[in-house]
Amino acid sequence: MAGTGQILIPLLTGLADAAGLFFVASGLTVIFGVTRVVNFAHGSLTMLGAYCGWSLISRLPPTPLGFALGALATMAILAVIGAGLEIGLLRRVYRAPELFQLLATFGVVLMAQDIVQWLWGVEDLALRRPPWLRAFVTLGGARFPRFDLVVIALFPLVFLLLWLLFTRTRWGRLVRAATEDREMVAALGVDQRLLFTSVFALGAALAGLGGVLMLPDASANLGMDLTTVTDAFVVVVVGGLGSLPGAALASLLIGLLQAFGIMLVPRATLALVFVVMAVVLVLRPNGLLGRPPGRDGGGGEARALVRPAPAVLRRFGLAVLVLAALAPLFLGPYALAVGTEMLIAMLFAASLHFMMGPGGMASFGHAAWFGIGAYASAFAVHLLAAPMPLGLLLAPLAAGATAALFGAFVVRLSGVYLAMLTLAFAQIVWAIAFQWVDLTGGDNGILGVWPARWAAGPRGFYWLALALAVAGTLGLRVILAAPFGHALRGARDSRRRAEAIGLPVTAIQLAAFALSGAQAGLAGGLYAYAKGSVFPTYISLGHSVDALLMVLLGGVATMSGPIVGALAYTGLYDVLLSATSLWRLVLGAAIIVLVLAAPEGIAGGALKLWQRVRPA
Amino acid sequence: MTAETALLAVEDLATFYGRAQILHGIAFTCGAGEVVVLLGRNGAGKSTTMKSLIGLLRPAQGRITFAGTDITGAEPHRIARLGLGYVPEERRVFAGLSVAENLDIGRQAPRPGLAPWTPARLYTLFPNLAAARDRAAGQMSGGEQQMLAIARTLMGNPRLVLLDEPSEGLSPLIVEHMAAAILALKAEGVGIVLAEQNLHFAERLGDRAVVIEKGSAVWAGSLAALAADDAARQRFLAVGVET
Ligand SMILES: Nc1ncnc2c1ncn2[C@@H]1O[C@H](COP(=O)(O)OP(=O)(O)O)[C@@H](O)[C@H]1O
Ligand SMILES: [Mg+2]
Repeated sequence: MAGTGQILIPLLTGLADAAGLFFVASGLTVIFGVTRVVNFAHGSLTMLGAYCGWSLISRLPPTPLGFALGALATMAILAVIGAGLEIGLLRRVYRAPELFQLLATFGVVLMAQDIVQWLWGVEDLALRRPPWLRAFVTLGGARFPRFDLVVIALFPLVFLLLWLLFTRTRWGRLVRAATEDREMVAALGVDQRLLFTSVFALGAALAGLGGVLMLPDASANLGMDLTTVTDAFVVVVVGGLGSLPGAALASLLIGLLQAFGIMLVPRATLALVFVVMAVVLVLRPNGLLGRPPGRDGGGGEARALVRPAPAVLRRFGLAVLVLAALAPLFLGPYALAVGTEMLIAMLFAASLHFMMGPGGMASFGHAAWFGIGAYASAFAVHLLAAPMPLGLLLAPLAAGATAALFGAFVVRLSGVYLAMLTLAFAQIVWAIAFQWVDLTGGDNGILGVWPARWAAGPRGFYWLALALAVAGTLGLRVILAAPFGHALRGARDSRRRAEAIGLPVTAIQLAAFALSGAQAGLAGGLYAYAKGSVFPTYISLGHSVDALLMVLLGGVATMSGPIVGALAYTGLYDVLLSATSLWRLVLGAAIIVLVLAAPEGIAGGALKLWQRVRPA
Repeated sequence: MTAETALLAVEDLATFYGRAQILHGIAFTCGAGEVVVLLGRNGAGKSTTMKSLIGLLRPAQGRITFAGTDITGAEPHRIARLGLGYVPEERRVFAGLSVAENLDIGRQAPRPGLAPWTPARLYTLFPNLAAARDRAAGQMSGGEQQMLAIARTLMGNPRLVLLDEPSEGLSPLIVEHMAAAILALKAEGVGIVLAEQNLHFAERLGDRAVVIEKGSAVWAGSLAALAADDAARQRFLAVGVET
């Protein structure tokens, strides 16, 4: 009997997990299908669902009916919030480039974190569990929570309801048609705004359901937004963006894989999911049940070329550089430490910009290369007892080599799928750093990565960082102005045309990917020595997003963008952090305002302004 | 027919793709029950004209009046709801939806003065669709997809239909069928603007022609006049040569 339990319990656990994944991912995939917006804030909606659900259900009678009412009310509230989000924000950015939409939704993520914390506090909120919620059933000699059986039953039920909605109602048919070709739907007389708002409301309600159903087993907590959205992204990408059956299938696959994986390879569960995602994307670039991307209407506008900086800007840049080089003479150690971080951030952002702007390959996982560089330096110190120059050499080498290896898979994809595969890889690297405790120290990291004596003081290290970061950033710029840079942009703008004139497009993109990874690795190596330690958080999604924010804040289309963006972001971050406890709210709002006001980023906006005021 | 009384009146239309100006002052009119053919070589600007009319592209200059309303720069769904139908060159049927579902997407309320289109009536007009009503549109042949694209637009009970090269790439038999359907629409009093490269097809159906070259209307008149005008035919004959 124990034998059946050994199979049955993980099976049921996997199904319950799959159900939870499906509720959240179905909303995300439906929203993406129609609006083409990758909604980073979907996890925040789930989190809001959990918190709203907690508040409601705690006040309702502790009966199954009370719970059900609370869940339904939460879904209604979330639907309203979703509709508000669509009307207030996303509607204004549908015509903006994909990445700006992403940036806007990430602004929402930041704001939601502070709003939730402000409303509900920092403590995890667990539901008081009445007996019916605590009950177990005994199956094959093992116990299984009865509530999870309810969750499992809801999976096919919700799927069926959604399926009926999408096939049996005109609204659902309109959604499916708009998922294929929204322009054509409009040309047939359908008001897309209503459709988009309602789809967002539905997606948000599903996210809310997912959040409420997490309550009995876990608790409402402030970290669930990013963990949930990462899981949901994986499901949606594995299933195929915009495909509801795909999301169901992928939820099952991943839920079961996790449940059985934890028995077979307990220490690699985190990586396992992302390995599956990487394998699926390599074999089926559009996911299990996805279609090749349809029309996206627009987006094909000509992008600015890289021109030599105007003389004024050059002189200004030179002046700033001289000032930066002299800074240690009049700045204190704290300011120099901040300056060092800014320089490293600049190199990190410039490396991402290199592949994202001219390369056209946006990455959600750029922190992977930064982290590999940092760990390479740390290993150099601890395993090889290598001097700092060698450690700093190994950082870009290790990151660049890994990027070259992995890039072979990445450059076959494009757009959101490419971004997701980079995210998957970063999560794998993160999982290794986190779970391979013997080698990496896990969560405790590796300490004692100190710089050589000649660079040990804040001044010395600042100058070292300045030299390497400026050389790295300018080096990337020089490469972009060279024939290689032209070929790279040619490949981005029209792959077919570039191939037709004989450019080895894949090799060019791979080289750019590896180069970008190497520079991020150098930034990581510098950071390791600057901090004296290395942690898995260097590879976290949050850190990748930092890089994205810096590049997008500065502007993708301008060369000075990443520099301005990195300085503005680190500066803003430091100022906000010390000025207000609600820094995420302010930063998120600032990002949203910026996206709405200057979709070209700070440097892009400045460039436009400059072109307008400059005498013709 | 004057610009005031015509169902559709286009004046001085200019449209850009980014910085490239594609249309340079297109002007024409089309009345109810009239077939106006936009003739022109590949790349002349016929499709761009149609996209500007339905609102998928925003004209930089000019005025479009439809059924007494100024629709210049209006949103596509508003224009479509006034009764302007659009059948794109690439057909753009919803591949994952069945034939019947595709028709349903195009559905609009009946329009006063027009016999409302129903799936049943459309299946009589295009019998091929009746047999395929539950099949996914993506699995149909090019000709069937073209019929579906037209039928889907008719479900909106349009007063006027923009037909972008409906004969392109179809077998002679299907082209015949298409011509018959267009004449049936005309007989119902629906106005039709037909973009064509195929002069023979155009001559069979059209009342008037507007020849477009490099985004400008270079010749306008009845198709009978075009048939009689050797110089013009000489100049535009290439448009009639099948490729
Ligand atoms: N999406 C687009 N972006 C830029 N130029 C375009 C686009 N579509 C068409 N064009 C250009 O506009 C001109 C007119 O095209 P089109 O209206 O499609 O011609 P036609 O329908 O008469 O063959 C052509 O020169 C074509 O290259
Ligand atoms: Mg055309």
